[in-house]
Amino acid sequence: MIKRVLIANRGEIALRIQRTCRELGIETVAVYSDPDRNALHVRNADFAVRIGPGPALESYLVIDRIIEAARQTGADAIHPGYGFLSENARFVDACEEAGITFIGPTADAMRALGGKVSARRLMEAAGVPIVPGANDISADDFATAEREAARIGFPLMVKASAGGGGRGIRLVERPEDLQAAMRASGNEAASSFGDATIFLERYVSPARHIEVQIVADAHGNVRAFGERECSIQRRNQKLLEEAPSVAVTPEIRERLCAAAIAAAKSCGYRNAGTVEFLLDRNGEFYFLEVNARLQVEHPVTELVCGGVDLVALQIAVANGEMLPEGPSTVTPTGWAIECRINGEDPYANFAPSVGLIDFVDYPTGPGVRFDTMLYSGLDVPVFYDSLLGKLIVWAETRDRAIERMRRALRDLVISGVQTNVPFHLALFEHPDFLSGDVSTGWLESTFTMPAASEDDPRLDVALIAGALAAQIIATNAKDPASSGGSGGMTRWVQSARGIARRGLRIEGGTSGWRRGTASR
Amino acid sequence: MATRHRFQVDGQPHTVMVDESGDRLAVTVDDAPPVEVDVTTSGIPGLFSIIRNGVPSRAYVAREGRNLRVVVDGRTFLLATAGGGRERGASGGASDPLGKITAPLAGVAVEIRVAVGDRIEPRQAVVVVEAMKMQNEVQAPHGGVVTVVHAQHGVRVEKGELLVEYAPDEA
Repeated sequence: MIKRVLIANRGEIALRIQRTCRELGIETVAVYSDPDRNALHVRNADFAVRIGPGPALESYLVIDRIIEAARQTGADAIHPGYGFLSENARFVDACEEAGITFIGPTADAMRALGGKVSARRLMEAAGVPIVPGANDISADDFATAEREAARIGFPLMVKASAGGGGRGIRLVERPEDLQAAMRASGNEAASSFGDATIFLERYVSPARHIEVQIVADAHGNVRAFGERECSIQRRNQKLLEEAPSVAVTPEIRERLCAAAIAAAKSCGYRNAGTVEFLLDRNGEFYFLEVNARLQVEHPVTELVCGGVDLVALQIAVANGEMLPEGPSTVTPTGWAIECRINGEDPYANFAPSVGLIDFVDYPTGPGVRFDTMLYSGLDVPVFYDSLLGKLIVWAETRDRAIERMRRALRDLVISGVQTNVPFHLALFEHPDFLSGDVSTGWLESTFTMPAASEDDPRLDVALIAGALAAQIIATNAKDPASSGGSGGMTRWVQSARGIARRGLRIEGGTSGWRRGTASR
Repeated sequence: MATRHRFQVDGQPHTVMVDESGDRLAVTVDDAPPVEVDVTTSGIPGLFSIIRNGVPSRAYVAREGRNLRVVVDGRTFLLATAGGGRERGASGGASDPLGKITAPLAGVAVEIRVAVGDRIEPRQAVVVVEAMKMQNEVQAPHGGVVTVVHAQHGVRVEKGELLVEYAPDEA
């Protein structure tokens, strides 16, 4: 039985995993880089080990240091979170060699799913729909390519078999362009990878990014927890996720979940994972890849699946336990939406925004969850991704969830960095988003962020607050030593100063702005 | 007694008149008619609760040098005051004073592309600052010859920090 878990991660996900561990009476070990010394995941842990300086390559990505930290603290299991080492098969090997339980899939499953062509073959054999295509065509074999292209249909993609990093990929709209694309792709592939073999794939567009959460135990049981809709993406980064998807009918869901379970069984998958699909307008879907880890957006699934704790399930199956009794496919209840709250300035082309957080106020109330690394006084490090927190809401219907998210976004105050909250609020005004009529290209092709200079009712409030703040500052500057005398200050300024000095807010009191009361 | 406050927000000038007379507090924003407001605060930095025509709104105000940073419904405004220095977000690139190049954002200097004595051309990238896994090129606003390189490889820089100095070309 797992008694002490090292969490090889940072930020909100480290806190997320810690919370479940603490609830289950499992001790936690935090690891941290120098700039994370003051992070909440360090404070809340039972043990904490420094693993290096800021850059992830010298800290969170160093396998030896993390294994050493686990040895040193006697951790019997490691949870990798997402990102960093979570899908690194060598890390899984290293855990095994050290006799530490890795809370995640086996190294073999990771390797089998890691390669694009190997995963394609595996899924094809398991009967999971893959994007129609043709594997392994020599870049100068035009006859074969033309025959296959006619079968696949246009538009299609020419891709390098050995490919990666977007190199050797060409979109072909018309049959007469195929040969040129094959030459270009083959040349690029030969120079980049020393292998001019290509493959063809149907270009599925417009399409939605739909993914299915699965959890598999070591006894051959796999459960699918319904789908997540993740089509709102910018530069391949998801910004908002929902569960379920407006495009998924019960019939499609049944097929999706069956495909995801087959995908998991094809490689003897264990633990939590996500099977990603492209879903086209006709309700046909195609396998994309398996994310062999817990995902950022897992909470939307938790909220629509009766509050299931996916981290607790991960720990249970890592302990060798069977999945609890239940149907193989969980039917979602209600609607959940997650907004990723990033330190990015939507008015400056989403440039990163870091700094000292001087104040945060969280939304609360029915159906609201905020998983975050933030606290007042945190200096957000510059070394890691821009995710500050995830605001997640649940409601009975999608419309209610949207209303609830709008409310929660307005209740969230983060001072010190610019966040992408204005982007989310603008998104929630767009008719395409409200009707759910989006695809993976929608955000970048159709949505435009309102310009900073456009009429914004928030500006009036900011100017009024700023002017009154300037007034208080000016009064204080004129009369810095005043402790009791009114010295010409109006009473609301006096009350503000008095409160500031005591570090308290006045409660109750009489009516009117002059007494510093909360309302009339 | 009325006091006039002038701010620049996103390059636009704004004027707010604050009129305190007796029990009443009235504010006038730009050309809009004056409106009576009811305000309480927990100090500065602090939360301001503003009630206008019976409608409450809130803002969080913090000082940033002599400027003010105000957060309203998820949006952060920088209210630049006269003498408050450059507006945040305007450091780096074309807004730098002649002869100096500053960091437009906080991050880590991951590439130093110039050395003392190098000729630089307008819009040439001189330093790459990485923040949150995104690389941002800092460009020279003018041509000239590099005289000092302050940025060091792998070292954190703050927003507005001096990265490179150069002797600008004659106009």
